[in-house]
Parts: sequence; C-alpha cells; structure tokens
Amino acid sequence: MRDAAPAITGLRDVADPNKVDPIHQFHINKLIDLQIGGLDFSFTNSALFMVIVVVLTGAFLVLTTSSRGLVPSRMQSVSEMAYEFVANMLRDAAGTHGMKFFPLVFSIFMFVLVANLIGLFPYFFTVTSHIIVTFALAMLVILTVVIYGFMKHGLKFLKLFVPSGVPGLLMPLVVAIEIVSFLSRPVSLSVRLFANMLAGHITLKVFAGFVVSLGAMGGIGFAGAILPLFMAVALTGLELLVAFLQAYVFAVLTCMYLNDALHPSH
Amino acid sequence: MDAEAAKYIGAGIACLGMGGAGIGLGTIFGNYLAGALRNPSAADGQFGRLIFGFAVTEALGIFSLLIALLALFG
Amino acid sequence: MAADHGDSEGQPGKTGGQSARDNGLENRLRQLDEKLASRRTAEQEKEAAWARNNKSGWANAVRLSSEFVAAVIVGVAIGWVLDKWAGTSPWGLIVFLLLGFAAGVVNVMRATGQMAEFGQQGGGTGDREK
Repeated sequence: MRDAAPAITGLRDVADPNKVDPIHQFHINKLIDLQIGGLDFSFTNSALFMVIVVVLTGAFLVLTTSSRGLVPSRMQSVSEMAYEFVANMLRDAAGTHGMKFFPLVFSIFMFVLVANLIGLFPYFFTVTSHIIVTFALAMLVILTVVIYGFMKHGLKFLKLFVPSGVPGLLMPLVVAIEIVSFLSRPVSLSVRLFANMLAGHITLKVFAGFVVSLGAMGGIGFAGAILPLFMAVALTGLELLVAFLQAYVFAVLTCMYLNDALHPSH
Repeated sequence: MDAEAAKYIGAGIACLGMGGAGIGLGTIFGNYLAGALRNPSAADGQFGRLIFGFAVTEALGIFSLLIALLALFG
Repeated sequence: MAADHGDSEGQPGKTGGQSARDNGLENRLRQLDEKLASRRTAEQEKEAAWARNNKSGWANAVRLSSEFVAAVIVGVAIGWVLDKWAGTSPWGLIVFLLLGFAAGVVNVMRATGQMAEFGQQGGGTGDREK
C-alpha cells in the first residue's frame, strides 16, 4: 500500500515533497509538433489519450461481440449491458423516435465514460478535465439538436421558446429568458462534467500529496500519513462513482435535449 | 493612481456586495433546512417559496456583480 | 346416503369443473396481473433508485449551481458581445445579465422539477423577473 502512494500522486520527483503540484497532471505537452497553415495541429498528450480511449472502446466492443453467442460470455454481456443501458435511457427520454440518435448517444456515453475511467489510472491524462473538450462535446449535442430541429420542424422549432399560457405583454420577456436558458445548456452541460473531473482529480492529488509530504518527515509523520492514505483510497472509490455518474448525467441530458428536437411542442 | 488600477479595485470592492447575498442565502437555506427537519412532511410544499427567496436574494447579489462587470467592461 | 353422497360429491365436482375452467382463466389473469405488477414495481423501484441516486448531495449541488452560473455567464457573454457589436454599452450588459439571472432561476426550477420543461406552460417565469 505504501508503495502505491507515489504512484497515485503521479509525482516525478518523490524525494522532494515541496514539488507536489496538483495542477501538473493537467498540463498539455506536445508530442509531435505539427503546424498546418499557421494553425497548431500538434499531436498532444490529450489527443493521444483521446485516441487511446477511442481505440480501447472500439476494440472492446468489436472483440467482445465478434464471436457472439446466444448465451453471452462475460465480456459480451458487458457490451450488451452497455447497449441496453443506453438504449433504455434514450427510449425513456425521447421515445422510439429517438432511437435514430442511438449511435450518437452511445458514442458520447462510451467516450465520456471510458475517458473518465482511464483518467483514474496513475500517470494517465484525463481528457474530460479540459473544458474545451467537454464544451466541444456539448456543442456537438446542441448543434445536432438545433440543426435536426430546424430540418424536421422548420420554423415550428422556434415554438420551443414560446411557452403557452403567458399573457401577451410578458411574452417578449419570457421568450428572451427561454432563449438565454436554452443557450446556457451547452455551458452548464460542459462545465458540470469538467468541474467534476477537475475537482475530483485535484482533491485526490492533494490528499496523495499529504501522504508523500508527511511520509517524508519520518517517525510521527509516517504514522500521520495513514489518515490521508485512507482518504485517498476512499476518494478513489468516490471518483469511480463520479466518473460513471457524470457520464450517465451527460448522456441523460443529451437524451432530454434530443427529445426537444424531436417534439418541440409537447 | 492609475485609472486602470482604480477600475480593478472598484470592481473588487463592488464584489463585496456578493458577500451580503451569500449571507442571505445561507440564512434562507439554513432556516429552510431547520424548518424541514422539524416538519419534514411540509418541506416539499415550501420548496417553491425557497426558490422564490433564493431568487430575490440572489437578485441583489447580481446587482453588485453587475456593477463589478460594468466597472471592468462597461 | 350413497346417492346423496354421490350428489353432494357430483355437484361440487360439476361446479368444480366449471369453476376449474373459470379458475384457469382467473389464474391466468391473476398471473398476468402479478407479472404486470412485478414489472411495474420493478420499474418504479428503478425510478426511485434513480431519483435517490440523483439526490446524492454532491452531484445535485454541482448540477444546480452549474445550471445557475451557466445561465448568468451566457447572459453576460451575450450582453458583452452585443455591446461590442452594436455599441450600446452598457445597456446590453445590464439587460442580458438580468435576463441571464432570470434564466438561471428558471433552469434551477426546471432541474428541481418545480417548473414544466421547455414548451409547456411557463406562468412562473414572469413573476420571477421582478
């Protein structure tokens, strides 16, 4: 257990406890420098872990379902459970019409979930702890909703912003509020995921840092280090829960927003 | 004093008003919780009023945020 | 005695035969009911579990505060861009910050189930703006 502590902190320099830097894990390093037309297209560690997440997810799903049997093997049931889980979620929120968005929702759910889980490994980079990544995912969802809504319903989609049963005088005010409320959706969607992952990883690292700095003191510090060590272990469990919960929340809200695109005026 | 510096200091002072809103919100939610623990069955019915109190209190905090933003960007 | 006995045995036997058919139907109906009921309770339990999960303090707190703060941020951003673009400083910022605040309260009310979702009656919104 004591050996695991430095591994959890992800510290390069364990001997010097003053170097504990909880933010260090979020640094983006360029692995391959690449400039195209004055734009920075460098392959960073963030991009590397995105590729890892996609490859891992794809390989897992393909391998476990390639030799599919009527009686599923263990790993095949995992894939099937993931499928059933997302399918039920989507069907509950958006009805059977919503199933045409199943590939989108399933991809987003699996990407966020696997990215969150992979980030929990020591030394690994957490893709979803950068707001630009989560914001891009949220914008993908919202743009899908808006574009599909206009394609399907045309200008009737704008009815989304006009609640019924509002006196005429208040209408402009209410419509403006609804529009701002709608526009705040991608922001809150992305900020929630980002803040959860960021805060969780920093807390984890701060407590693990306590273990290192107390342990370096020797003697009493060694005994005192046990408390934050247990805290770090408990927080890792909590982070597992948060990783799953946030992926779930992200997917559920995606389903709800897609429902608005499918049925703008209930 | 540099005008730019005065701007930032003014924005910071304006943000102190948010502290008042914070105290108010703490009072509101604390009292709601105290009441809800005494009579849990009535708690759900009063949730709307809790949100109303939250909105009115937070509105005053938002005014000081507004002044701060105006000092910064206005 | 014997006839009586036979009769008394026959009658129940007859009615038993009839009621056996009835019983069969009833049994099946009951079984169907039970199945439906169990499925319904299972679904209700699932929903209840979801609601309980949803109410886990930290997740809920982050959800509500992010809903509120996001709306305010978006309001400020819109107002600021509008001011830059149309030169209406500082009115765009003021108006859209207040709108963003109202939208934030609406968001919180939606998230806590105090208000209908998008596209349904929104009577409460006007009052909140004051």
